[in-house]
Parts: sequence; structure tokens; C-alpha cells
Amino acid sequence: MQLKEIVNILECKNHTDEGLLWRDIEYCYATDMMSDVLKTCKIGSLLITGLVNQQVIQVAEIMDLKGIIFVSGKEPATEIIEKANEKNLPMLTTEKQLFEACGILYTFGLRGREIFQKADDGTGNSI
Amino acid sequence: MMEQEILYNKIFGISGKDFANAGSVSVKIKKILKEIGIKPEVVYRVSICCYEAEMNVIMYARIAKLNFTITPNEVIIIIEDEGPGIENIELAMKEGFSTATQEMREMGFGAGLGLPNIKNNSDEFKIETELLKGTKLFFKIYLN
Ligand SMILES: Nc1ncnc2c1ncn2[C@@H]1O[C@H](COP(=O)(O)OP(=O)(O)OP(=O)(O)O)[C@@H](O)[C@H]1O
Ligand SMILES: [Mg+2]
Repeated sequence: MQLKEIVNILECKNHTDEGLLWRDIEYCYATDMMSDVLKTCKIGSLLITGLVNQQVIQVAEIMDLKGIIFVSGKEPATEIIEKANEKNLPMLTTEKQLFEACGILYTFGLRGREIFQKADDGTGNSI
Repeated sequence: MMEQEILYNKIFGISGKDFANAGSVSVKIKKILKEIGIKPEVVYRVSICCYEAEMNVIMYARIAKLNFTITPNEVIIIIEDEGPGIENIELAMKEGFSTATQEMREMGFGAGLGLPNIKNNSDEFKIETELLKGTKLFFKIYLN
């Protein structure tokens, strides 16, 4: 599903370059803990989080995340938006809360890494 | 042990409490590996390990040196910090154990997953520590 569609579904505000919204999203991951992303998140996922800070952007770069959605109407500071733009990282915000946002995306067919799925990108210890 | 040819070596400094630059050393290492053409799986594993180790220095230690080496067969990372050391390594290695402060937790850290993540993503892993002196982390990731 393209980010463009996700913007519509979750009524997101887009803070970065419009051109990035053509990106295709296959997998999603939701957490407020950075080590969770590094442990379990599939490379190239879309991250849905309530955590709004610089660290999220660094982790996004490590995991080649395709985008970030900040939930509960939390607005990123200008420096964070600038950093995301520098790194071509789509950054969206939605008024919806974490559970709601994930639930909606799930009904539209998006999935996370299944717990029984082997780590095909070679990271982590998912069995 | 046989002496290994060194293809690349660089030493980075990491300062404790430097949350503003947190992760920047790991991102640099990731870029270097990518440019050299190391396969993605290895790039991700090294970057994840480095990020976790870098964050631990920023959160718990005063200062550290990260020694990054590439040989024909492996990536070798040694991170030696000056800091409080780890009281109980076995406990620190357990998933979920964390002494992160409330402030660190609000920044998204303190899941107690960092050290286990490093162990799981590396092919060789060793940790040495001395209380009130510091901690030395050593890990290797094979290229093939
Ligand atoms: N370099 C270090 N110096 C001193 N103590 C450390 C160091 N690295 C880790 N520790 C101790 O080991 C504990 C476990 O570390 P680990 O990285 O696994 O989890 P965490 O940093 O608490 O949380 P997370 O990494 O998930 O954000 C830490 O809470 C800390 O007490
Ligand atoms: Mg840690």
C-alpha cells in the first residue's frame, strides 16, 4: 500500500516531501521502545509510534525504515522535521491513537513481522 | 591465531550523555560498510549492534572509543568505555533487565534489550567489565 493511501486512511498530516508518498509499504511495526525496533522490526517497515524525538530518526536510518507516523496528534519539532527531510524519510502525524491507527491499517491488509516468521533479512533472533 | 589482513580500520569517539549525536557513529559505520559493498544482512547486523553499544555508552558511561575493523572475513568492533562498569553481567544480559532512568525511558530506551540484541546479531561476543573503571565490549560479524 502506498503511503499516499495511508495518509488518507489515517487522516495524516504530511511533514516531509510529497514525492516520498509514492513509497510502497509492505510491513508495519509499532512501539515506543527503540530496542524493540532494532530487535523485531522488519527492515524497511513503516514505524507507528508515540515517541517523538531525534532518536527515532537515527533508528529509522539504521533500519532503513520507509516512513514514520507519530500518533495521538503529537507534533514533531522543526529540527526533527528538518532531519527527516535531509534523510528523505517520510514523516506523518495523525490524531488517532496508537491502537486505533494500527487496527485501521491492519484491516486494510498491512501486517507486521509474524512472530513465527524466520528473519529473512538476517537480523535478530526471530524464529 | 593467524594474523589477519586489515582492510579497513577507524577509531571513533563516543561521549556519555551526548543524546544530540546519539547514533551518529553507528550511522557512519553503516555508510562505510554500504559503500564498500558489504552485503545488506551484514550491514544491518553490524549497524544494529553498534547502535545498541553506542547508546549504552551514551546512557551509562562517561566516554568511549569504538574501534572498527574490517578484515577479509569479518567485521570486528571493540568498544571500550570509562564508566561505572556493570555489577552483574549475567543479569545485564537478561532481556528486560535495565537500570535506565525515567528520563531515558521517556526517550524510548530501557527495554533491557540492547545487550541481548548485540549478542543475537553477532557471531562472536565478549564482554568484560570492572566496577568503577569501565566496560569493554567485543564482537565480530562474519562476512560470509
Ligand atoms: N557500557 C555500560 N556501562 C555500564 N552499564 C552498562 C553498560 N551497558 C549496559 N549496562 C547495564 O546493563 C543494563 C542492560 O543493558 P541493555 O543495553 O541490555 O538494556 P538497556 O540499555 O537498559 O535498555 P535498551 O538497550 O533496551 O534501551 C543497563 O540497563 C545498564 O545497567
Ligand atoms: Mg541499551
